[in-house]
Amino acid sequence: MKKASQLNFGEKVVINDIDVLSPHCNRLLEVGFTPGQQIELVHKSFFDDPLAFALRGTIIAIRKHEADSITVI
Amino acid sequence: MTNSPLILLTGPPNSGKTTLFNLLCGKNYKTVNYPGSTVEYLTSSILEKYDIQADLLDSPGIISLNPESPDEKVSVDSLLNPPGDKQTKLVIVTIDSTQLTRHLLLAKQLKLSGFRIIIVLTMVDLLKKRGYDINADLLSEKCACPVIKIDGRTGNGIENLLIEIRHSLNDSILTPIEKVRSSLKEFSKDELLEIYSENEKIEKDCIHEINSPVNKDQLNKANAEINIIQDRNVKASLKIDETTRKIDSILLHKSYGILIFILIMTLIFSSIFWLANPLMQLVDEFFGDLASKANTLFGQNLLGDLISNGIISGTGSVLVFVPQIIILFLILGLLEDTGYLARGAMLIDKPLSKIGLNGRSFVPMLTGFACAIPAMLATRTIPNRRERLLTIFIIPLMSCSARLPVYALLIAYLTPPDKPWLGGVILTSIYILSILSSAIISAIINKTKNKLVNVSDNSSFILELPTYRFPKFRNILYNTIDRTFSYIKRAGPVIILFSLSLWFLTYFPDNNPKVDTAGLSENEIIELQNAERLSNSYAAGLGKLIQPIMTPLGMDWRVGVSLISAFAAREVFVSSLALIFKVTGEDETLQASMLDAMKKAEIEGTGKKLFTKSTIIGLIVFFVFAMQCLSTAAVARKETGSWRIPILQIIIFSTFAYVFTFITVNVLQAIGIS
Repeated sequence: MKKASQLNFGEKVVINDIDVLSPHCNRLLEVGFTPGQQIELVHKSFFDDPLAFALRGTIIAIRKHEADSITVI
Repeated sequence: MTNSPLILLTGPPNSGKTTLFNLLCGKNYKTVNYPGSTVEYLTSSILEKYDIQADLLDSPGIISLNPESPDEKVSVDSLLNPPGDKQTKLVIVTIDSTQLTRHLLLAKQLKLSGFRIIIVLTMVDLLKKRGYDINADLLSEKCACPVIKIDGRTGNGIENLLIEIRHSLNDSILTPIEKVRSSLKEFSKDELLEIYSENEKIEKDCIHEINSPVNKDQLNKANAEINIIQDRNVKASLKIDETTRKIDSILLHKSYGILIFILIMTLIFSSIFWLANPLMQLVDEFFGDLASKANTLFGQNLLGDLISNGIISGTGSVLVFVPQIIILFLILGLLEDTGYLARGAMLIDKPLSKIGLNGRSFVPMLTGFACAIPAMLATRTIPNRRERLLTIFIIPLMSCSARLPVYALLIAYLTPPDKPWLGGVILTSIYILSILSSAIISAIINKTKNKLVNVSDNSSFILELPTYRFPKFRNILYNTIDRTFSYIKRAGPVIILFSLSLWFLTYFPDNNPKVDTAGLSENEIIELQNAERLSNSYAAGLGKLIQPIMTPLGMDWRVGVSLISAFAAREVFVSSLALIFKVTGEDETLQASMLDAMKKAEIEGTGKKLFTKSTIIGLIVFFVFAMQCLSTAAVARKETGSWRIPILQIIIFSTFAYVFTFITVNVLQAIGIS
C-alpha cells in the first residue's frame, strides 16, 4: 500500500491507517492524521525532507520517516 | 502569588492563548519558576477593572495531555500540581475556531480527566472570512461546558467570559484533583480515534456556512468541494488559508525557499550589526561620560575611583548590550508571530538532523545569538533528549550579544579609518566561523554516539506551520520587555559583582602609591600613581602567575587578567582592559581612547608591541570558542540536571579557544603578519 512519504507534490489522498508500531503514532493522531482524513502534500523541503501536508484546515510538517508510517488510499 | 483562587490557561500552540492572557491580565505579569526546575510560567492576577479575585497561570501550549517535550510536560504537570500548593479551580482552554476538530481534543481530554473547563473560541473572524460561522451555544451543549467567543483584536466577548468565570468560581464544587490524578493517563490509539470522530461530528454540527448573499463563483466552488467530499467519502474539513498557500508557494518553494531563508537570516544578522551597534555605542558613551563626571565630582580618590570605575563602568557593561538583545527579540517575536519561524525550522531540519540536531534546535540557536541563557530555556521544545542536550551543548558557540562589544573594540583596532567596510566583513566572517564551528563540533559529538549524551534515539519532527497572520505588536513588545528584564535580573548582579571584585583587585593593596612628584603636572602625577598602583595590585600578582600561559599566545598578564574577568560575562573584557590600562573617557569616546592606549601598550620588559594584528585576530578566535559565561554554565546545569554538560563545555571550549588562538597567532606571525 502507498505511503504518505511517496506522494507527489499536490497529490490528494485519504489516510488508510497509521502504523501503531511507530513511536510517533499517537502524536500523529493527535495533530490530526486520522484514518479517513484527506491529506494533500503541499510542500517539500529542499532535501525532500521534511514534508508538509495540508489537513483539517492547517499545514503540518513531518519528516519523511514519519510519513512512512502513514498508509494512504 | 496571592491567596486568590487559581485559574489555569491552556490551549494548543497558535490558539491565541497569549492574546487572551494579555486581555485578562494586561502586562503586569511575572514569570515564576516551577519548583525544581527553571521552567517558567507567566502568572498574574486578573485586571482590577474586571473585579475578579483570581490568579491566572499561563504555561506553554500543548496539543494533548500526553506530553512529548519538556515544556509540554511542565504544562501538563502544572495542571495537576500548580505552584504554591494551590488547587486549580478552573481551566480555560483556548480553541482556534478554524481548527475546531483538532483543538477540541485537548478540551475533551481535560473534561474527561475531571477538570472544570471554559472553552474560549478564538479567530472567529478568520473563520468568517472563509465564509463560515460557529454556533457557540450548540458547541456548549455538545461539550457540556461554557463556550465563549472572543475577538483577540478588539477584546469583544471578554464580558461574557468574565460572567462565566465569576459563575464558575462562585460554584463551591472544586475540581476533585485526586480523581483527576488517578484518571489522567495515556490515551490509546483507539481512544484518540474515538475522540476525533466525535469532534468531527461536533464540527459538522456547529460550523455552518454564513447565509449571506454569496456570488455564484463562491457557491459553485463550495458545491464542488462538497461533491468531492461526498464522492470520496471524506470527512468534511475546511480548506487551508489561500493567502498562506500563496505565500508558502514562494517561501517554502522546493529550490529557492532555502535561498530566501538564508537571505532572511543574513538580513537579521546584518540588521543586528547596523541597528544595534550605534545604540550600543551610545550606551557605552553615556556610561563613559557618567564615569568621568563622577570622577570629577568625587575627585581622584578611593571613593571617586570606586564609583566611576567600579560601579558605573560595571553597570555600563551590563546595559551595553541591551539594545542588541531588544532588537534580536523583537525580530524573533515578529518572525514567530507571523508564522515564519516554524517554516524556518522545517527548512533547516534536514541539515540539522545530519549533525545530530533537530529543526526545533533552530529557534534556540537563533536566540543564542542574543544570549545563551534564554536560548537554553528555549530548547525545551525539543522532545528528543539527545538532540536537546546536544543543542544545549553547542549554544555557547553562537556568537552572543555579550561578545559584540569585544568584537567591536578588536575590529576597530584592525580596521583602518579609510576602509570602514572592512569591519562589516570581519564581523560577518566571525559569525560564519561561529556557525561553522558549532556545526563541526556538533557533527563530531554526534559521531561519538552515546558517549557524551547517552540517551536512546527516537528523533521526530512534527510541527504545525501556522496560518500567516499580521503580527500583534503589543504582544511582541511585552514579550521583548519581559525577556530583556529577566536577562538583566539574571546576568546583571553577577556582572556587577565581578566588575567590583576586579576593581578591588586592581586598586588594592597599594591604593595610595608614593611617587616622585618633582616637576610633574597634576595629570602626569595621577597617571604615574595609577600605573604604580596597578603594578603592585593583587590583579598584577595573579596575572603574573598566568604569564607563562599567556606568553605562547604573544600576550601578557594584563590581557590574561582581562580574559579571566571575562568569565563573569564576556563584555567585561572591554571594561577590564579599560580599567587595567587606566583609560578614562575624557574629551573623546571611551573606544577612541582605549584604541590609543592599546596602540601604545608594550609587553612588559620586552619593548615589543602587545596588540598587533596577529594577537588581535588571536583574541577574536579566543572569543569565538571560549565558554566564558558562568551564568550560562549555571543554566546548563539546571536544564540538563547535572554538572556533566557544563563542565565538559568549559573544558572542551576553553581548550579549543587556547589551542586555536595559539595556532592563529603563531601561524600569522610565521607568515609575516605581525
